[in-house]
Amino acid sequence: MKRISLFPALAFGSLLCLLYVPGGKVVDAAKPMKVLRSCKDCHTDINTVMPKGHPAVSGVDIIACISCHVPDYSGKAESNAYAARLHSAHEGPKARLECLICHNWIPGKSFTVFQQKASFGAPSNEDMELFKKIFTSWVESSYIDSLHSRKNISCSGCHGESLPKEGETVENDRCLLCHGPLDKLQTKTTPKDFPDRNPHKSHLGDIACTVCHHAHGASKVYCLECHKTFKMKIQGEAK
Amino acid sequence: MSTRQKDENEVKIRGAENRFKTIKTSPVSRRTILKGGVGLGVLASMGGLALNLSRPGSAEAALRKLPKKWDETIDVVIIGSGFAGLAAAAEAAGGGAKVVILEKMPTYGGNSIISGGAICAWDDKFHLRQKLNLGDDSPKRHMEDTIKGGDFYNIPELVEVMVNGAPDALNWMIDEGGARIRETLPRMGGHTAYRTHMAIEGVGRGYTEPLKKIAESRGAKIRLNTQVTWICRKDTDGPVLGVEVLTGKKKRNIGIRRALVLASGGFSKDVKMRMAYNPSLVPEFNCTNQPGATGEIIRYAQAIGADALHLAFIQLYPFAEPENGILDTPAVYPYTGTGYGLIYVNKLGKRFVSELERRDVCSFAQIKMGMKPTYSIFNEKMIQKLAAPKAEIESAIAKGRFVKADSIAELAGKIGMNVDVLQETISKHNKYIEEGKDPEFNKPISKHMIPMTEGPFYAVAQWPAVHHCQGGLRINTEAQVIDIWSKAIPRLYAVGEVVGGVHGSNRLGGNAIADCIVFGRIAGTNAAKEKPL
Repeated sequence: MKRISLFPALAFGSLLCLLYVPGGKVVDAAKPMKVLRSCKDCHTDINTVMPKGHPAVSGVDIIACISCHVPDYSGKAESNAYAARLHSAHEGPKARLECLICHNWIPGKSFTVFQQKASFGAPSNEDMELFKKIFTSWVESSYIDSLHSRKNISCSGCHGESLPKEGETVENDRCLLCHGPLDKLQTKTTPKDFPDRNPHKSHLGDIACTVCHHAHGASKVYCLECHKTFKMKIQGEAK
Repeated sequence: MSTRQKDENEVKIRGAENRFKTIKTSPVSRRTILKGGVGLGVLASMGGLALNLSRPGSAEAALRKLPKKWDETIDVVIIGSGFAGLAAAAEAAGGGAKVVILEKMPTYGGNSIISGGAICAWDDKFHLRQKLNLGDDSPKRHMEDTIKGGDFYNIPELVEVMVNGAPDALNWMIDEGGARIRETLPRMGGHTAYRTHMAIEGVGRGYTEPLKKIAESRGAKIRLNTQVTWICRKDTDGPVLGVEVLTGKKKRNIGIRRALVLASGGFSKDVKMRMAYNPSLVPEFNCTNQPGATGEIIRYAQAIGADALHLAFIQLYPFAEPENGILDTPAVYPYTGTGYGLIYVNKLGKRFVSELERRDVCSFAQIKMGMKPTYSIFNEKMIQKLAAPKAEIESAIAKGRFVKADSIAELAGKIGMNVDVLQETISKHNKYIEEGKDPEFNKPISKHMIPMTEGPFYAVAQWPAVHHCQGGLRINTEAQVIDIWSKAIPRLYAVGEVVGGVHGSNRLGGNAIADCIVFGRIAGTNAAKEKPL
């Protein structure tokens, strides 16, 4: 019994060791930081960082936000300016804060917003390490995850209602919810010079979007593996 | 390693750590080792290691523990999603097995989906040869052509299975898979009869899609991005037990309940391996294959005792697109048009080989000459005989692959060739067709060959590229993999380009698809029949 109740605390404590201060330095494990649960710890007046026209905010933590901005637990394939901008503001080059400021996490069991019951998934320690790397890319990179973040689309926009596990991929019908239907996409990308060199109507059959379009890494046109002289471009290529 | 027998059941060996230890084993004597009853593998595996007949210390050949528990078990696992793998999957699933195809690439179909889509069979359900009045054929003739084309290195029993099963294989794809073929029946290099059945699409996809349809409708599943990194066997007597697979960064072990079918293709893209057997296949040669055509599965099979043969026999496709080595649709015309009178000329405008010669002869004739590229010259009448769709021709012209002209003079001008020489070459060839003899290169002239007297005329540039591995794993007529002691390895099958011996030293065009589907069906049927472990 004792072991189980210690576990969240241990996990919590181990995470404190990984807290970043604004500026990106990892804090020494021997000196755990006080957990920042209140926005006031950085923002003396939270209303100064609100977008224009936003009603005045009186609360001092995430609960103040979610009373209006109810978290989407269903993983809709749509943009959400509040969620995207809240995360990118706190996980980018200007500030890198620990998720646990607003979230509660029990590794392998749940990931919730502070004081909320509903969970977004059950990320393990390994999953969390991967999330941290990918967040950097999503907030600012030349890859298409970052291109999506600029359109206020965050993780659930592609991955749906559950935080993804390592090795998971996004299936075509998800991408096509926004970028489809397929025939419309095919028409859009039909080359003018040689119509049959359409990357979305490949002679290799119905291929996964993710064969070329890599969210968290450089995208690359698969056709060019063999057809080295084709003129084909793709967003999010390696620089 | 040294051995000293104390009694019949005890053997003292110097193990891997160079320390002596005594182990109990079934009677091991020099005689049993020589008889093949007990291989090195038994001794190596006493510590629960997976069989690996060679451990040179490289990463691929590292010591592996035999999994105590499998992450997953599957009835029939098939490595590779080309013609061979799909045909095997279809029949294994049809035989009641749960089938999974493991494909390491992000798309399915391997080389098959980009192949020329031509299958040779001495007959078909439409009796196209009789319908088009293209002469006689028989399984015996198909077999003789194949063995002659392979310089008699072919294993005759395997060829016999292929030629006998080919018509059924084609009919099966048509009836059950919805495959459609063109109303034409070319005669290709090395064949003495008109027996080439072309998929309507003009590429291998015309046959892979029907096969995939049959396989998936019977319950087989394809897993992409799943690479096999080892084939697990405990010792040199027992069956194959499972495979180690890599998906992304994760490695898992999949146990096999009935059988493992290797349908992983050839190794033309594996420059190191192809040069190990044929040093002249330098990296400068283009290659028609998809990037995944590498030979690791052959090595994993050899590491568990499989025999391999004919690995030096690697074919160049003589007529690949000269810049990138792609066997695109236009590159198929040089080999299908020969029975209708298409000719090959070099930059000087002269013929240099019998157009009905085997691929290796056509390839080396070009390489010896130098002067890249050479050209196929043909005309509108031949295109009609090939039942080529108009759109296909127009596309080839638009892309600069086909050069079209109303006269020979205009054609020569467009491809930078001496008009007079080209004109003379064509006139002479027209005469040969009339007289029924080719005194220059001894090409067997047939009455179906069309003299090029009328335009429009076409030219397509071509040059040899590394293409097909005739060699590979040894199998018997049941598609079982044979070990170095001529025993079938239980529960292990191999089909298609990964196999050696069907095509001898040189494969005839159109025989690969026949080989893959005929033996794929046999392997799949046999795999499903194996008693589950």
